[in-house]
Amino acid sequence: MISKELLKSYANKLMFDMNDDEYETLAKEFDVILKQMDLIGEIEEIKGVKPMTFPFELDDVEYRNDEDTRTVSYLDALSNAKDIKGREVKVPKVVD
Amino acid sequence: MSYLDLSISEMKKAIDEGKVTPTSLAKESFERAHKYQKDINSFVTLTEKNALNQLENLDSVEDNPLKGIPYALKDNFSTKGILSTASSNILKDYVPFFNATSVNKLYSKGAILIGKTVLDELAMGGTGTTGHTGPVKNPWDKSRLIGGSSAGSASSVAAGIVPFSIGSDTGDSIRKPAAYGGIVGYKPTYGLVSRFGLFAFASSLDHVGCFTRNVSDVAYVIDAIKGKDEKDMTSLPDDNIKFSEHLDGNVKGKKLFYLKEIVNRDNYKDSMDEELDEILNNFDEIIDKCKNLGMEVEEVDFDKEILKAIFPTYITISCAEATSNNSNLTGIPFGPRSKGKSIDEVMFNSRTEGFSELIKRRFVLGSYILQKENQEKLFLNAGRIRRIIVEKMTELFKEYDGMILPASGSIAPTFRSETIDKLSDRYLLLENHMAIGNFGGFPSITIPCGFVKNMPIGLSITSGVKKDLDVLNIAYALESTMNYKNQIAGGVNDER
Repeated sequence: MISKELLKSYANKLMFDMNDDEYETLAKEFDVILKQMDLIGEIEEIKGVKPMTFPFELDDVEYRNDEDTRTVSYLDALSNAKDIKGREVKVPKVVD
Repeated sequence: MSYLDLSISEMKKAIDEGKVTPTSLAKESFERAHKYQKDINSFVTLTEKNALNQLENLDSVEDNPLKGIPYALKDNFSTKGILSTASSNILKDYVPFFNATSVNKLYSKGAILIGKTVLDELAMGGTGTTGHTGPVKNPWDKSRLIGGSSAGSASSVAAGIVPFSIGSDTGDSIRKPAAYGGIVGYKPTYGLVSRFGLFAFASSLDHVGCFTRNVSDVAYVIDAIKGKDEKDMTSLPDDNIKFSEHLDGNVKGKKLFYLKEIVNRDNYKDSMDEELDEILNNFDEIIDKCKNLGMEVEEVDFDKEILKAIFPTYITISCAEATSNNSNLTGIPFGPRSKGKSIDEVMFNSRTEGFSELIKRRFVLGSYILQKENQEKLFLNAGRIRRIIVEKMTELFKEYDGMILPASGSIAPTFRSETIDKLSDRYLLLENHMAIGNFGGFPSITIPCGFVKNMPIGLSITSGVKKDLDVLNIAYALESTMNYKNQIAGGVNDER
């Protein structure tokens, strides 16, 4: 079974944590998931195949010019932030 | 019988003939929404004030098939000035300052927004049980779930609260709950409908689609929301074809296939039960119905091992993409902010407190998949399998007009159901094949096709990219051979 320490390191890299019970559940779930993942590796045909990252080729992609097209007002941008000062989001002090 | 129980076109006709008004339809829709909320929990937010405002300004809207028609919207679409939570605590107070493109289009058509519907948290789940406001129940039987992630959008249509709703589909998040709810669920070709303003789950698999109670209504809804959008670079150019004007049910000579390995009884010897037996019998009857309509139906072989890899491929790609897409949920620009001595600590604590356990588990999996040592083995190999499947299906769709399969190997599970063995053929083949539609962006629909143990079951129809009209026409023709069109769940409307 995958270790709790390893799972915790994956969680912490994504900037969150879980409690001990949750890690235990997750370890059990990983047991099944890793067996499912093994099914991916068992397919002989995958050798030399280019991984697909999009459903199909788009034949009409037009690159736009590097110009402002849409902008957001600072009032809108700050409308959901919990702590603001003037035109900025207020956060804990970074430099002492 | 109420006017609210009618199809969209019948409802519109009744409005035009002065038999009912958009205001009275909306009023009744809200009454039903309130009445059933405790029982089935379709909604996160009911938007009465907004609807009133829309109704007051309805005269300025040009006449069209959706004018004055009530609808519901999954709560992972941005709605300006209206709470949009994605059913997650981390967005429980988020109020967007812009509308999703599909929402703007529906506003411009005068469709009346009744409310925002419950989903599996951040659309990552297939049960409809993980939203932050509680589980969604199936209107046909409240001891059963309706499936997800577009759970409330499905239950609100199945219960007759609204004639249509908007959802999103990343693996089968519209089509599976539609099957469990006895209604129609449609996921068009990838890019046909703009994703702008849909909270991204897995961008290369996410689709915007709809729920209705008949196939014609799908055409009206998709006609209203499809089209090129400069805000979504993956949206397809508009061909300006109105699906609703080309539904004729003329399917004579169309060629269909089904995948032998998915419906082969020999694969399910160990897990066969009455439910699955009846579902497979029903599928045999559907094949006969197709033939009676003048269509050819052929059995096609597909490597079973590849089909069994659909689910792990889906999980690998979707969790990896979701991990990245949701990295903006930090508590700093929006969402509840937790305390911390540094920015890092604030983000860490906000995410720890804001995400539910299930979402964290999915993210840890995504993190595992994206570790350098696992990228080749998992993430890139999943992309390779995706390509193999999509290329094989694309070849098949050159020869055939569509693929038919049972939408699921079971009826809607109860909340107490024992979890199915997730390594069994039954789970890996029958419960997860609809993700093929997301891998290749193929248009795919489920329509109600029968009842097993008094619960609805669904048929899945899928075709090649941009063959939406084929899918809709085949579904339209098949629908006419059965008695499930416009059905409303009995479980919540006994008094009607």
